Amino acid sequence: MGAAIRIATKDLKLRVRDRSVFILGILAPLVLAFIFNFVFGDALTANTLDLRFGLVDLDDTEISQSFGDILVAVESEGILTLTDYESAGSAEAAVEEGEIDAYYVIDPGMEEAVLAGEGFDIRVIGNIDAPTSTQIAAGIAEQYGSGVAGVQLAVATSFDLLDGPPPAEAAGWGQEAAGRGQSFVLDDVTTATRQLDPTTYFSAGMAVFFLFFTVQFGVVGLLEEKRDGTMARLLAAPIRRTSVITGKALLSLALGIISVGVLMVTTRFVMDAVWGPPLGVALLVVAGVLSAVAIMGLVGSVARTPEGAGNLGAIIAVTLGMLGGTFFPVGQGDDLLSKLTFLTPHAWFMGGLADISGGAEWTAALPSVAALLVFSLVLGSVAWVVLRRRIAE
Amino acid sequence: MANVLSATGLVRRFGDLTAVGGVGFSIEEGETFGLLGPNGAGKTTSISMIAGLLEPDAGEVVVVGIPISPNSVDGKAAIGLVPQDLAIYPDLTATENLAFFGRLYGMKGEQLSKRVAEVLEVIGLTDRHDDLTREFSGGMKRRLNIGIGLLHRPKLLILDEPTVGVDPQSRNAILESVESLSAEGMAVLYTTHYMEEAERLCDRVAIIDEGTIKAEGTRRELVAMVGGRDRITITATGDLARGTAVAHDISGVFEASQSDEGMEVLANEASRLLPELLSKIAGAGVVISGVEVVEPNLEAVFLHVTGKALRD
Repeated sequence: MGAAIRIATKDLKLRVRDRSVFILGILAPLVLAFIFNFVFGDALTANTLDLRFGLVDLDDTEISQSFGDILVAVESEGILTLTDYESAGSAEAAVEEGEIDAYYVIDPGMEEAVLAGEGFDIRVIGNIDAPTSTQIAAGIAEQYGSGVAGVQLAVATSFDLLDGPPPAEAAGWGQEAAGRGQSFVLDDVTTATRQLDPTTYFSAGMAVFFLFFTVQFGVVGLLEEKRDGTMARLLAAPIRRTSVITGKALLSLALGIISVGVLMVTTRFVMDAVWGPPLGVALLVVAGVLSAVAIMGLVGSVARTPEGAGNLGAIIAVTLGMLGGTFFPVGQGDDLLSKLTFLTPHAWFMGGLADISGGAEWTAALPSVAALLVFSLVLGSVAWVVLRRRIAE
Repeated sequence: MANVLSATGLVRRFGDLTAVGGVGFSIEEGETFGLLGPNGAGKTTSISMIAGLLEPDAGEVVVVGIPISPNSVDGKAAIGLVPQDLAIYPDLTATENLAFFGRLYGMKGEQLSKRVAEVLEVIGLTDRHDDLTREFSGGMKRRLNIGIGLLHRPKLLILDEPTVGVDPQSRNAILESVESLSAEGMAVLYTTHYMEEAERLCDRVAIIDEGTIKAEGTRRELVAMVGGRDRITITATGDLARGTAVAHDISGVFEASQSDEGMEVLANEASRLLPELLSKIAGAGVVISGVEVVEPNLEAVFLHVTGKALRD
């Protein structure tokens, strides 16, 4: 181990003098994280959606007003602003003026329809330039309608069982049916629960993206020793052959941890990034760096020259980075891309950080840490075997 | 003298190509052994096996009684390798290069600092010890390359064509260093395709070609194989006929004749005969104004044993 540490120390000195490690390992990710956050940060923040809705209640009954009560409740959460209009015409004019994004129209007869167990309409008219807001407005109306329909069904079933409606209670059930719509909740899912805030997201993305370039210095160093003739001298020294590979891996590990560590500390204090419990973050960083070393070790075992390793490494780093969602979030649905993303250490690293950044315990990072360690173990073992053979050639 | 290196039956194949096909020789303490052959003869492959860089397909290498293989650690401490290609780090200083490799050989602390200073003195880089080696001239880099090889006082120093691409002044300094190390008792294995270097430095020479050793021995033994004689050219006037007759009678002289400038004498071991020869022909009335001795060289031997010139 002593020889490996001496080789790693020597390489670290060379890389510091070379200065490239500062550029690729610290400066580039930091600058890009700042730029990405500045340019795209708002796009990831649903809180910035300014929902402005209007309501035209032409029925103006107790039941129709229950829908307005729901919208007022949501307004009190700070998620939307609601304006009442006397007529559809005035609401239409407000949409055209850009004062509101969408408006609801409750036509006369809603209460009557609800009490009779019949269907009713809440029309949603939106601005063509505000499709997201209109979609949300329609969603709220649908949710309300579903709630009312559910209670109507329950009331109808009770009528059948009781062989007719008990006159004194029937009106109350109608009110209940309309009030059930209030079970609707518009929750803010973008705050620190399962997803990183934009600053932390882009900082983490750039950290893990450039990590793959930073750890490459160690592996490329192995090929540079061969190219520059110093490998012969290392192999002729009274040290174990594996010490040379171990030394390069140690360098990669050290550079990776320093790079990500500096980036996290800097973005914490300069850009207010939120990283979560230090122990969980530390485990994720070490596991993430190990997986990057393993993958780049594999690249080094395949490449014939330092230049070849650099090119192949760059292709792999960019591909995995894109797939892993370091630039833009990859969806979490059932599509192929959402599944492929978990074949990258990047996705597990970012996912692990998201799991612990919302106030969860450090143990929430363990599944991601385990996945990253599996990457490290499997790919690292293959790289180790091939590299041992390669340096002897 | 103790045997430092014993290599027997070394074979190394690369696919269908047999790069080395049964090379074997030994080197004693204080002896400089030359491996003389053209490029591609198998010199570097041979020393790669001896230095423990390559696993032989067959054969054995023993250095100071310890078998050497790519996985051996102890035996390698007795070997100093100076690879043909420069094996130094351009972004480290001369001192840092020496110290790094010294530590790999287990040196540390004051012992290391002292030895680094000594080696810098030997290779003439004391004044430039703190400069990055990328700023060095080719000759300075070559000297540092050698310095790293002898830093840990190896029992066996292997130099693989150390003067390739070196200016005459640095080349001479390198050859003097090797002579000095050999005089101190270090066993030296020196590969070269320069015949004059092998003649100057080596106590024994092996001529290698196409992966096998074609001939081995001292320079004189090798020359004797081709029946070569030393030629003594004497620029002289006076009684040349009598001088020629006197020279004929000296033991070891094979032929003596007059020439336009004086006399030509063919003999064995000219340097030993010369005092007697000059004394006797001067006594016979020959006025001597100049003497030149030309010995048969390894070039002729190489041509004889391989059927081709050394620089083909």
